[in-house]
Amino acid sequence: MPEGQVPYRIQKRIEALKVLVWAGIAVLLLAYGWVQLIKRREMQDLALRQAVKNRATPAPRGIIFDRNGHKLVDNRRALHLVIQAEELPNDPSLVEDLATRIQRDPDDLKRRIALSRKAGGNHMVVIQDNLDDAGLAQAELLRARFPFLSIQTAPRRSYLGDTLAGHALGYVGEVDEKILEKNPERFHLGEIIGRNGFEATHNDEIRGVDGMRKILVDHLGREMALYGVQEAVSGRSVYLTLDAGLQQILKEAFGEENGAGVVIDLRDGGILALYSSPSIDPNVFLNRLSQEQVDYFMRNPVKPMLNRVTQGLYPPGSTFKLLVALAAMEKGILKPETTYHCAGHKVFYNRDYRCDGVHGTMNLVQAIAHSCDVYFYELGMRLDVDDINAAAEKYGILEKTGVDLPHEGTSRVPSRAWAKKYRPKEPKWYAGETISVAIGQAQNALTPIALARFYGMLATKGKLLTPHLFFGFRNEQTGQLDPVRPPPPRDANLDPKIWSVLDEGLFQVVESGTAKASKIPGLSMAGKTGTSQVTTFVDKAHYAKLAKKLKDNALFAGYAPRENPQIAFAVVAENAGFGASSAAPIAKKLCEYWFLTRPKNPLPPPSSKVPEAMKLEPEVVE
Amino acid sequence: MIRTRLRSLDMSLLLPMLLLVLMGTLTLFSAGRGTSQANLWLKQSLWYFMGFVAMTYVAGQNPRHVFRLSLALYVIGILALVAVFVIGKKIGGAQRWIVLGGMTFQPSELMKWLTLLFVAQRLATRPPEQVTTWELISTSALVIFPMLLVLKQPDLGMAISFLPILVLIPLLKGLRAKWVALGLIFIALGSVLAWQKVLKPYQKQRVLTFLDPSADLQGKGYQINQSRIAIGAGGFFGQGFTTGSQTQLNFLPVKTTDFVFSVWAEERGFIGVLLALGLFGMLLTRILEIARSAKQLADTNFCVGAACILGLHLLVNAGMVVGILPNKGMVLPFFSAGGSSTLSYFLGLGVVMAIAHRTKVK
Repeated sequence: MPEGQVPYRIQKRIEALKVLVWAGIAVLLLAYGWVQLIKRREMQDLALRQAVKNRATPAPRGIIFDRNGHKLVDNRRALHLVIQAEELPNDPSLVEDLATRIQRDPDDLKRRIALSRKAGGNHMVVIQDNLDDAGLAQAELLRARFPFLSIQTAPRRSYLGDTLAGHALGYVGEVDEKILEKNPERFHLGEIIGRNGFEATHNDEIRGVDGMRKILVDHLGREMALYGVQEAVSGRSVYLTLDAGLQQILKEAFGEENGAGVVIDLRDGGILALYSSPSIDPNVFLNRLSQEQVDYFMRNPVKPMLNRVTQGLYPPGSTFKLLVALAAMEKGILKPETTYHCAGHKVFYNRDYRCDGVHGTMNLVQAIAHSCDVYFYELGMRLDVDDINAAAEKYGILEKTGVDLPHEGTSRVPSRAWAKKYRPKEPKWYAGETISVAIGQAQNALTPIALARFYGMLATKGKLLTPHLFFGFRNEQTGQLDPVRPPPPRDANLDPKIWSVLDEGLFQVVESGTAKASKIPGLSMAGKTGTSQVTTFVDKAHYAKLAKKLKDNALFAGYAPRENPQIAFAVVAENAGFGASSAAPIAKKLCEYWFLTRPKNPLPPPSSKVPEAMKLEPEVVE
Repeated sequence: MIRTRLRSLDMSLLLPMLLLVLMGTLTLFSAGRGTSQANLWLKQSLWYFMGFVAMTYVAGQNPRHVFRLSLALYVIGILALVAVFVIGKKIGGAQRWIVLGGMTFQPSELMKWLTLLFVAQRLATRPPEQVTTWELISTSALVIFPMLLVLKQPDLGMAISFLPILVLIPLLKGLRAKWVALGLIFIALGSVLAWQKVLKPYQKQRVLTFLDPSADLQGKGYQINQSRIAIGAGGFFGQGFTTGSQTQLNFLPVKTTDFVFSVWAEERGFIGVLLALGLFGMLLTRILEIARSAKQLADTNFCVGAACILGLHLLVNAGMVVGILPNKGMVLPFFSAGGSSTLSYFLGLGVVMAIAHRTKVK
């Protein structure tokens, strides 16, 4: 084609193309204008919302010390794999994938995420807690696959004594859905609260206030800048009335044997030692329990979860005789000098009742000292069951002691009303039944703490104390105790004359009676042995299976020193046989430690030198 | 010598180019900050420099000599595309690259321009009215053959960028009802066929995502959604250079190539978009003006084709990142990082410059 101008109509088409170019650009400008000018606010909000995050910083709970400032419960830093509230995933297949990778039930995880979304707020969902090195490595791999996951530092409880005081301290865990439903204002989803023991009853005192961090994150959720911090406020540290040394003695005294022991400070009702055997290690409950652990703790006939001191109901055996004597003297049918003759057994209501020995003629003090059953059968013959029940009511046995531990059991002493209400097949009370009630058998069932409180009442000439573990807050400046006022004692109006007879009887038990083997030179202990048939909460078939002889429970309750009582105690050794041979020696060890071998000052004040509580500071971002 | 060389460059074309290159380099600097691509802007500057040298060299040539080589170049290009299948390097499931001396080249980028060169020359051998239907069909085949090779790699975005070359047919023969109808039928059949036989699942996903980006915010819709947020957050004046949150916090995906214009839009705002699009408009208008003034039909053909190729890239990329067109994976000239593409369109523009130099467009 020759050189020259391009044909005119082609030039026209090129001009049209130019128009098309500018038309295209105009369309693009409209689109950008729409997004950048009209939708600007919305888009800026979206950008801000995904880049600026509020992250809760969990507050550490208060540290728990014993009365002398020994740390019983501490906090340490742990790493959790979590989903932050703002990252909750929508895609169910993603959640299922994650659940299978971490071996969790997908439906459970989905439900947790749905709950958390419903709850709102900025509380995270913990996927895996307390990561160790291997867990951390795995968590990083998971994070690469599931970008909504993040790793969060959070304080974690550490129970330093392991099984030392498991039932007294309790443990913490994520708040239950049921509890949450009942107290929606008090707790938030995923909150770590006390689930048992002191941790549960004093949760409000020792919980902290979660803090908040406003941060800038990148697309992987990594923190790039810090905008603001509202510091987490640690929970207040507390002192318990427990004495770690005495607690250790009590624990060692039980060894492998099952049972319960409690020691109460008679000045204020503070619990110096409280041990339920077998004990639990609270640290175990911070993790997801393995099937083996679930079987051991929840499906075990020995019931390790039961706090035997406050929840175990034991027939009190002969330790109950003091209440029967009290009831008889108050009714006027028994004088200190009243004597009965023991021939080793006696027939009442056409039935032969046995005694442990042939005691001959005895007065009340002798009958207590030698635990003569015939003497108390005679009293049971002359008393109505309602008299015994009324005395139990008066002297505080039938009420809860008010100890600051969860789910305290209620002791039981039968009465006619009781028979009518709880024994529909046999609503009538037979006088013959009262004979067994009078020696602490039959339907009697007491918690060891109620028994200790009753003996504390005897020791203090009628003061009914409220046993408690909470001693007071730790003053963060001085490290000293700021005591809380203990609940005031109730006066049971015990006749001093009656008291002095019972006191003498209890003294003679150790001095010359059934527990004289446990006599401590230089210390006058007062107490009463008891032996009771195994009837209560532990499955008999279990012992049969273990071929362990179905022995009686051994009990010992009392106080010391007799002249100036400072402590009261109750000890139950399950299936240990005779009370004098197994329970009384435990009480002896307690008294020996407390009054003789323990560092000398009677009840030392908390030391001012307490290690610094762990403070959680926000992580510094590089 | 250099001055003579530089004098062959068309200033009205060069000015918007230089401004766009400057803006693109700044954007790459900001997008790469704090990532493994912190030095990408330097590398890209080097490509721009090499592009300028190549463009200046080509601009000094006689377009006739260049067109004379077009058949040979076309054949070499086809051979290179075939070579990709044999010795090509596979990255992310696609075989598009050839490694030469430690550097990777994407032959399809250059092939676009070689095809245009060849087709522009072939359609100019006779006056337009004498070109037969058979010649039009065989010429179309010359475009569609390399296009299918590219589609097979697979590289849908690149294959589509061959299509603007076909604009030469209506340019010469005008828009006739039967051609338009035939074209529409062809497109309809082609899309059905493509949907069922050719498109890979991920490509189908892209189309679906485009139709409803909000359906899959965590997955495929994520990119478009983040890009729209970035652009919108830019507002009228922009978040400021190197301070766009979407860019700097990496919420914006593939921000140095496909979504580089979102970075510009976020940090420079609507004003910046207006400026960039305006410069692109000036550039394209200038190329079309050169086409109109050209004394040779082959020259006109080439310039119109070049404007359409660049225009399509602009429309598809800028439309994609703002969410009005599907996510095709098409780069934006002067903004997206990449050696092969940069060299290729600088060479193409070199030919345009050469034409402008001979034509002496006002």
